[in-house]
Amino acid sequence: MSGPPVPAVPDRAARAAAPRRRVAARTRLDFWFDAVLLVGFTLAYSYGFTGIGIHEWLGIGLGAALLLHLTLHWDWVLRTTRRLLSRRGKDRVIWLVNLGLLVAMTLCVASGVLISRVALPFLGIYPLAGPFWSRLHTLTAEITLGLVPVHVALRWRWIVRVGRRLLGWRPAARAPGEPAGRAAGRVR
Amino acid sequence: MRFLRHLAAVVLVVGVVVAGGLAWNRFGAGSLVQPGPGLSLAPGQRALAKRLARDAPPGTSIVLRRGARPGQPGVIRIVKDGGMDLGLASMLDPVNLPVLRQTVIIEAGAAAGVVVLEIAYRRRRRARRRRRLTGATQTAAARPAAPAD
Repeated sequence: MSGPPVPAVPDRAARAAAPRRRVAARTRLDFWFDAVLLVGFTLAYSYGFTGIGIHEWLGIGLGAALLLHLTLHWDWVLRTTRRLLSRRGKDRVIWLVNLGLLVAMTLCVASGVLISRVALPFLGIYPLAGPFWSRLHTLTAEITLGLVPVHVALRWRWIVRVGRRLLGWRPAARAPGEPAGRAAGRVR
Repeated sequence: MRFLRHLAAVVLVVGVVVAGGLAWNRFGAGSLVQPGPGLSLAPGQRALAKRLARDAPPGTSIVLRRGARPGQPGVIRIVKDGGMDLGLASMLDPVNLPVLRQTVIIEAGAAAGVVVLEIAYRRRRRARRRRRLTGATQTAAARPAAPAD
């Protein structure tokens, strides 16, 4: 006895009816959290639009979010750093861009805290300001503005792949012959 | 537990970067900001300048009048340029939307450039691999078959 015939290649209707591949919770968290970080940074950089109060509070929030973002991807940092010499050129470029971004963004947030005129005084803290920190804040903000889009664009394939599934741009179908268990697994 | 371990490592790395910034300020601040000539004033004028700086509204600068010498009357000139206005009344004002638009354009432009470069790089690599594979297949086909024993 044999079961019902299974088409080797599912037709369009069957493909549309197939359940969308589930995106793992961690991938979903990464996607949305990174999107919020990007929007947050864009707003924080547009100081003339947000005004100083929102700029400063957003910057402090971005500092905390940066810590969380790095913590969530610390495994990648360790893995890539260990295999830095044996990796492809692109991985090395990503690693260098990320290192530059880490240094620039950290110094940007730290110098921003040190020249705060609204957020910290509101909390009763009067930080030490000075021309060095003001200049460093401007410089690192500009470097960060250059590196953030590069950091995002170097992962554009992952963003498009996950974005398509999360935003439902196109109903995804299981590849022919792919087991259901794998289809329901992580998308990375 | 693993999360906390990673967080501690991240805080350590961030701390090292911040310490680097503090060290830069301490030992090499001159590489980023050049010290100005300073305001050379008589003691009474210095006290007046300090009081003015404290009580003046935002946007006020105190400068030394050109050609004036310390001790002379009219050394201090007060300039109001509005540069230090905190702008607390203009938060998220639609009038300032072009600032946000400009940031978005810069980010989108840089990201698009990287994507185009990445696609071009990948295509070139694929073409090179295809050429190498084709060359290897042609060499194998042209080679005479080994004589059978």
